[in-house]
Amino acid sequence: MEVRKGSSQDPNSAKYKLNQIAAKAYSDAQAAKERGEKVGWCASNFPVELPETLGIPVCYPENQAAGIAARGQGEKLCSIAEDEGYSNDICAYARISLAYAKIKDEPAQNMPMPDFMLCCNNICSCMTKWYENLSKELDIPLIMIDIPFNPDNEVSRDEIEYVKAQFLEAVRQLEEITGKKWSDERFREVMANSCRTSRAWLEATALAAARPSPFNGFDLLNHMAVMVTARGKPEAAEAMELLAREYRENIENGTSTFRAEEKYRIMFEGIACWPWLRVTSTGLKSRGINMVSTIYADAFGFIYDDFDGMIEAYCKVPNAINLETARDKRVRLCNNIGVDGLLVHTNRSCKLWSGFMPEMSRQIGEACGIPVVSFDGDQADPRNFSEAQYDTRVQGLTEIMASRKAGE
Amino acid sequence: MLTLGIDIGSTTAKCAVLEDGRDFRAVSLRDSGVGTDGPQAAFEGVLAELGVSRRDIDCVCATGYGRAAWQDADLRASELTCHCLGGVYVFPGLRTLIDIGGQDAKVISIDAGGSMAEFVMNDKCAAGTGRFLDVMAALLRCPVDSFAEAAARSKSPASISNTCTVFAESEVISQLAAGAAVEDVIAGVCRSVATRVGSLARRLDMREPVCMSGGVARNAAVREALSEYLQVPVLFDERAQLFGAMGAAIYAAKRKSKE
Amino acid sequence: MEVREILDVFRAADPAALKEKYLAEGRKIVLTAPVYTPEEIIHSMGLVPMGVWGADVLLKRSKRYFPAFICSVVQSIVELGMRGTYDGASAIVIPSLCDSLKVVGQNWKYAVPGIPFIPMTYPQNRASEAGRAFTKAGYLRVIRDLEAATGAKFSAQALADSIKIYNEHNALMRRFGREAGKYLSAADRSAVFKSAFFMPKEEHAALVKKLLAALEGEKPLSGPSVVTTGILADSPAILAKLDELGLRIAADDVAAESRQYRTDAPETGDPLDALAAKFAGMGCCSVLLDPEKRRADLIVDSVRETGASGVLALQTEFCDPEEFDYVIIKKACAAAGIPLLAVEVDRQMANFGQAETMLEAFSERLG
Repeated sequence: MEVRKGSSQDPNSAKYKLNQIAAKAYSDAQAAKERGEKVGWCASNFPVELPETLGIPVCYPENQAAGIAARGQGEKLCSIAEDEGYSNDICAYARISLAYAKIKDEPAQNMPMPDFMLCCNNICSCMTKWYENLSKELDIPLIMIDIPFNPDNEVSRDEIEYVKAQFLEAVRQLEEITGKKWSDERFREVMANSCRTSRAWLEATALAAARPSPFNGFDLLNHMAVMVTARGKPEAAEAMELLAREYRENIENGTSTFRAEEKYRIMFEGIACWPWLRVTSTGLKSRGINMVSTIYADAFGFIYDDFDGMIEAYCKVPNAINLETARDKRVRLCNNIGVDGLLVHTNRSCKLWSGFMPEMSRQIGEACGIPVVSFDGDQADPRNFSEAQYDTRVQGLTEIMASRKAGE
Repeated sequence: MLTLGIDIGSTTAKCAVLEDGRDFRAVSLRDSGVGTDGPQAAFEGVLAELGVSRRDIDCVCATGYGRAAWQDADLRASELTCHCLGGVYVFPGLRTLIDIGGQDAKVISIDAGGSMAEFVMNDKCAAGTGRFLDVMAALLRCPVDSFAEAAARSKSPASISNTCTVFAESEVISQLAAGAAVEDVIAGVCRSVATRVGSLARRLDMREPVCMSGGVARNAAVREALSEYLQVPVLFDERAQLFGAMGAAIYAAKRKSKE
Repeated sequence: MEVREILDVFRAADPAALKEKYLAEGRKIVLTAPVYTPEEIIHSMGLVPMGVWGADVLLKRSKRYFPAFICSVVQSIVELGMRGTYDGASAIVIPSLCDSLKVVGQNWKYAVPGIPFIPMTYPQNRASEAGRAFTKAGYLRVIRDLEAATGAKFSAQALADSIKIYNEHNALMRRFGREAGKYLSAADRSAVFKSAFFMPKEEHAALVKKLLAALEGEKPLSGPSVVTTGILADSPAILAKLDELGLRIAADDVAAESRQYRTDAPETGDPLDALAAKFAGMGCCSVLLDPEKRRADLIVDSVRETGASGVLALQTEFCDPEEFDYVIIKKACAAAGIPLLAVEVDRQMANFGQAETMLEAFSERLG
């Protein structure tokens, strides 16, 4: 059988390598657990540099929940959490994770049970509650790095000092729990890897500016797993650099992983609707719409020079910043990449992300002169999405983009 | 001693008359509830059947959504307590009662002594209530009473998973637009109600035997789906819709005998 | 004064009328949003803090800013702001202790541009030295913003004086929380807590003191009682139902009630450090980091201490901090053999039928 170059079966392709790295994160943690090492569960925007430097294996519940939801088991696990008394209004990632902690086996995506929790609430306060409950229910320590929502445009010195003290305290706690020792030299390596991976990621995602874009934006949702779980590893940096190379080649060859004519280019706002990934993707592709930009492109661009710089980067993740800064980041992305419209996922699971989105997306639409359309959905609970509504909204967006193009 | 229970629900009114706290002498049911003449008609109907007047009744207990508005009551009790009493009367040793009414769905866990131990009710969303079935019946142009029969013909029940009634409506329309058979959609709707209510039951420490009460209990498709979801047999009695009224009469008799 | 007369004063504390009165006196008003604002600072600067916890109003204009699944407490704050209910206020202080509160602050800037938004950023690791320093930095920022918005000036001495006034009020409210269940209806109890957000602290404290004295001669009420928990417990329909059923509130763990008064600031040292120490000492609350979930123990303990028959969880719809805690509270109550009822409430509730039925059934179970 001939394997198409660059396809997920081609062992030399970035896609294959990235999938391997993502899968290896789970198997490494499982193997470590079986060896008797202490394993942590870690929030996606926790400074991964800390466990990576210490050589502590960690798993990512958000990543697991997305995987479980994408493989069609979201409703089952959400229901198990609801049976425990959790409201169905709670974030579906949290519900899936709490359910997993109870049943401890879900073939859609298993991972070892934790000995400690690594929480960072820079993406939401919901994270704090979710990890508190896991820590209480599993009776394991919670290491908490609190990075408050920043109402200002700049990160203050006070905030850096507060977060820095917590980083140091987290290292101390981790050393105590695992018996492993911090090494500045190792930290410099990890920091370099993380920056190198992030730089490659930013470069690859920015290549969407080419027309047509060298890739289908839904690819990024897949590759993001590596940015979450392995950005401090050299193999991740190498695979991301390969990805950027492949995209550049696509541009030169006039090819793309978006296998349709790119009639329209949009920015997609919000977490993917994992249970309805195919439906949401097909709804766009069938109309010649490529999702060329998401804030994820920016979200995992952790680039810094030193310890303080690293802290500042974690204080500036997308959901920790005020409306104006968040808006300007998106306006910049829209303008740099070039988009015809904005499709907003009003995500039932995410109060913080969706809570000021109506106002922010209005402002983005105005600043970029593009139509904005939203639909109701959920990142992991399939029951909060209506295919008919999605289809109608996307059709509406397409019609507006078409009439604007005709009027140009 | 004669005691009378009147259960005034959102869509029906039911009465039951109990003699000496032991035997039911008469029952009545009218298909119109709060704010209509249904309760009065059910009340007069049950008295006429027995050939007695209001004066002959020692104690009247009102329950259901309309209980507060029923002027002629000596006592009032919540429908939770009443359904529990009615259920235990019909099924001695009953430990879990699932009631799906017009507006509400409730699950009551009952202790070994036959008293209510704990309960949960549906949230504001109409999914999992009789109201949800009514909305779907109108949409599918098939009376709710025919749902069980239609669902029995279904070969592959459609998946109706939305928690929101408005979304579920659009889900149903999409299914029909995609060519799904009406009976498959109906079977899917019945399953969806069972799943919603079943998940409430799982929040309690559910013990057997389990029975269903309320108007929706008559729908065999919902009953069977519920039994399948909970993995336990779900008992049913023809008087399921009258449990509230019967329980109210029992409540009145208990109170009376304490005096 | 008789108990009834004193209660009438609390009940008459209408925020709209008081706002007009303060403005007519030439005083400046600063709105304080849930859950914890440094009221002492506002008070010490000669400004009048007025609590804004939303109201039972139909959400219309605020829908432009919020998706449906953000809690109606915060949505109704913006709704009232857009309607002009708060016109005349000089600023609003909004702490970002939950995701919905973060969102309110951001929307406020565009929805109610006439009333400046002052953010208060609290740390969750609040007890450490770094945490206290960050809390203090947050207070300094609030002070700067308040000075800019109102022209008032901050002084450490004035803050030390205000801390004393607040500590005295806290102590009285703690005593009131214990005594109220013995003598007062749920509605009357609520009126005393609610008025504390609108009346000047000194006046409120004096009146509570009088009430406590007057209650000493009263005959205690009988019947079962509950411990309430949640964000708010001020729904007139729910309170009326509790009173109709004869269910007393023995104690509460309600954010808008006793959680406000549990902790005092030290009265020594730098007053801003003292205020940061107060925040560091706070806990047992859904919006303050609590990995051991001591809140659940506190609820179980207060049932035991007061001899209450059960716990009534008034759950604000879409309030995820409370929804997470609920499961742990539920387990703690079950383990302790304490009956628990959860009733979902929100500021948009038009139909209380189900809630009333549940309360009745709960009372039948406790009775």
